[in-house]
Amino acid sequence: MSDWREFEQNPVSHSAAHHLTTIQWLLDDQGYARVSDVARHLGITRGSVSVTLKGLRQRGLVVEDDHKHLSLSEQGVQIARGIRTKRILIQALFREVLGVPDEVAEQDACKVEHLISDQTAEATGGFLVGLEKISSDSQWTHLLESLQRLAAATPTSFPGNETQELALRLEKKDPQGEDQPS
Amino acid sequence: MTRFISRTEAIEKLNALLAEELEAAIRYLHLSSMVQGIDRLIVQKVLQENHDETIEHAQQVSEKILQLGGNPTPRIQLDLDGRRYSGPQAIAEALIFEQAALDGYRDLLDHVDGSGDVVLEEFARQQVAVESEHVAQLQMLLVEAPVGDQ
Repeated sequence: MSDWREFEQNPVSHSAAHHLTTIQWLLDDQGYARVSDVARHLGITRGSVSVTLKGLRQRGLVVEDDHKHLSLSEQGVQIARGIRTKRILIQALFREVLGVPDEVAEQDACKVEHLISDQTAEATGGFLVGLEKISSDSQWTHLLESLQRLAAATPTSFPGNETQELALRLEKKDPQGEDQPS
Repeated sequence: MTRFISRTEAIEKLNALLAEELEAAIRYLHLSSMVQGIDRLIVQKVLQENHDETIEHAQQVSEKILQLGGNPTPRIQLDLDGRRYSGPQAIAEALIFEQAALDGYRDLLDHVDGSGDVVLEEFARQQVAVESEHVAQLQMLLVEAPVGDQ
């Protein structure tokens, strides 16, 4: 399998994703965004921000005016909005369904927000919408409570025996019949 | 208008500048290795000299932090790739982070100008002058003389 190569096909890197969403956040919050604002918000140097923005400007995602104020192009806005939406959905999935503490859910969502496909994000959204509709069902409530209890216990090592056995069982059931690591 | 900058605020700003200088030094070192082509003969030397100067600046900023009773605690986060650069590309890249450092010193000067801290004000003013010169030198290296222009 060559799925890991997909990482290199992503429209934006993790760092670039943070730059785009930060510019959008600053524009929404204070009405303007400068290199120094982005640097302060991300806790990195102006030099690092400037070097990253150079690439984003060349790709037509970020625009800088004569007063050094930053904005996003239409495509930049679309990418930033997509990443932010994915982050919210994944964070909600981890928190609401798996019962992972909000702080951990946020950190983990941040790690994958720019990596998952639009299709998986849409499916996650659909799942969460469906979940809202059936949350009154007692069996679902019971399942969710069980999951949340498991998630509340911080694992000492990963994977635990049960999780490892489950992964092996699932791997054998793989409909693709592929058993190589991705 | 009389301004005021607290000691904590000054140390915080100097630590941010220290991070700028240290990152710039590493970037210069990296660029000097990655520059290729015939320009390498000249550009590598320029980049190495700028690296040495940047390290000196970092030392000066560290000293200033210590003089103010603080601790140098720069936050550095660098992710450098293995891209090769032509001479002009390397200079253009250096210009980006030199300009960022200059903006940082200008920001410090804006805060200390008229604050009564003459030593810090003088330091900021001096660094703005030095960094401005660096930026101007790099800009001059990027300007191509028209063909036939003597």
